[in-house]
Amino acid sequence: MPGEPKRLEHPKSVYIIGFIFKIITLSVLIAVVYQITLSPHGPQLLVPLQKKMEAKQKSAIMEEVKRQEEYEIHRHFHNIVSYPKLPENVQPVCYICHSDYPHSKSKKVRAMLNMHTQFFVCETCHIEEKYGASVVYKWYNPLDKDPKGPFFGTSYDPQTGNLVEVEDQFSKIAPYFRVGGELQSALQIQDAPLAQDYVKVRDKLTPEQRDNVKKKFHVNIKPKGHDCKKCHDEKGILDFKKLGYSENRIMDLKQLNIAGMITKYEKFYIPNLFSDSPQ
Amino acid sequence: MKQIKFFHMTVQFLVMFSILSFSGFSAEAADKENCLMCHKYRQIGRIDEQGRKRSYYVDEHIYSNTTHRNVPCRDCHTYISKLPHDPVTEEVNCANECHIKPPFANENFSHKKIIETYNRSVHGIKPADSPQLRDAKPYCKYCHLNPIYTKVSEEQVASTSLIRCLNCHEKQGVTMAYKHITHRLRHKTSRSPQQIVQLCSKNCHEEVALMGRFKASEESLAAVETYKRSIHGKSVALGAQDAADCISCHATNAIHDVYKKDDKQATIHKANRINTCRQCHAKANDRFAQIDVHSEIDQHKKPVLYLTNTALGFAFYGSVLGLVGLMLLETYGRKKDGIKWQIRKGTTWRGQSKRGPKL
Repeated sequence: MPGEPKRLEHPKSVYIIGFIFKIITLSVLIAVVYQITLSPHGPQLLVPLQKKMEAKQKSAIMEEVKRQEEYEIHRHFHNIVSYPKLPENVQPVCYICHSDYPHSKSKKVRAMLNMHTQFFVCETCHIEEKYGASVVYKWYNPLDKDPKGPFFGTSYDPQTGNLVEVEDQFSKIAPYFRVGGELQSALQIQDAPLAQDYVKVRDKLTPEQRDNVKKKFHVNIKPKGHDCKKCHDEKGILDFKKLGYSENRIMDLKQLNIAGMITKYEKFYIPNLFSDSPQ
Repeated sequence: MKQIKFFHMTVQFLVMFSILSFSGFSAEAADKENCLMCHKYRQIGRIDEQGRKRSYYVDEHIYSNTTHRNVPCRDCHTYISKLPHDPVTEEVNCANECHIKPPFANENFSHKKIIETYNRSVHGIKPADSPQLRDAKPYCKYCHLNPIYTKVSEEQVASTSLIRCLNCHEKQGVTMAYKHITHRLRHKTSRSPQQIVQLCSKNCHEEVALMGRFKASEESLAAVETYKRSIHGKSVALGAQDAADCISCHATNAIHDVYKKDDKQATIHKANRINTCRQCHAKANDRFAQIDVHSEIDQHKKPVLYLTNTALGFAFYGSVLGLVGLMLLETYGRKKDGIKWQIRKGTTWRGQSKRGPKL
């Protein structure tokens, strides 16, 4: 009103109190909107629409696979732990088609062969030697150019006798070709142009075309991997000492209890384990 | 997205690892035959003939912190008779007697007694059951994983009083015995109400189509839905630890003795209901026990409840939406009158109404 003294600026605390009230009002509004639209405790006005959208994206295969995974947790009974997994783009190309359980043919050793995928990449066992290049085995970690370890499986905890748990969850033994004085990785990872291109177009390729491209991923790869004794032997191809294994672990790996057991029972249960028959 | 998944899995691993790292016990005690020589490797497994992933890995750190930590492998896996063993085709029988003698007992331990209770319950397989119903009924492993001991908060306090025990007993034995007891002290079961509700609902009681195939009553078909709408269900959904879950009302402390409500042994049979309610509601009387816990708000079956519920809905939405509407109308009116927003000089509005008297 004219003649009245001008009102002063609000005190600063008013703005803070106002802000808090606005947040509360907004929260109540959001809650009410949720209650009316989607909440199972309200009239569920938007639920039919949500269900319609879900039905569009629904996949019977996906549901079945998920259900199987849940059943497997209970079938297994001995609490399964999830482990960190590499981001897809740095995984070896093998994982575009194969899983961590690639071996299934030989009933007697398939699970044991699959066990090895924790310790080395597929190429370590399935590499075809290249003319003019020797193969060297080193620890390889796609997230660390020069992994220093300690690596899992290389030593025992003297107190418990268990294998020592380590921080490095990704390093595996991998082959390198020594050409001249240089080491070249024998791996292809999913970040490579060929792999990226394949992932992009594989749905558009005919089965024949797909087979054609797959051959390119299998250069230097032999279908049957090494026999056990190629590594688990005094003169094995892996230099365990250089790879950082402790003395007692090296002894166990070379005269491997499992290999020992296999040899012991060779005649009785698995006579063809070390033969040339494909696994 | 990939990074988030990667981060999530890393965190999950670190959390699990840190939970377990408080104990350095080895699984060696239970593994005298060295089964872990092969089974300690996490990638041991295969994709089976039906395409299902089968892991044969037993984490020795986890196993040594579970209730079965002292049970030798072949006490359960009795069908293993040679090494390397053949592909396993048999299931473990939890009613087996294992070579563990519990304290203050003369007989070897077995789950036989609880399995007998379970077999008598509604979930037990009966001779008249169809093959489909047999498949659908839960078996021991459907609900149970090898229970992992967890640290309880009381441990810190209790550890001071436990020191006395060490005068006679070994430290490891005392710690294990303490863990064995305390992890069962928190609830009627060692699982949270949220876990129990999920266990009973998922893939089973909430699958109306599946349950419908087994001639389940209309009430039991809607049981999950009506529970979620009940005060118990809502409290559990909001995180309550003391509110009633499925087991609280449907079983005694034997946990496995769930019966249909017409069965005299059922905790929800009309003769037993009052005692069931009194587990939590000490003053419950006959009238209290008649309250329908799984109440379906149906217009025709329960008109009074339906009307009350609708009226309360109107009151709730009416007041909140009325207030918001009023605010919106007021704002619209002021803007229409040419008054602008302003957050200074002592007011949130500036200017004069076109309709108001000229000042």
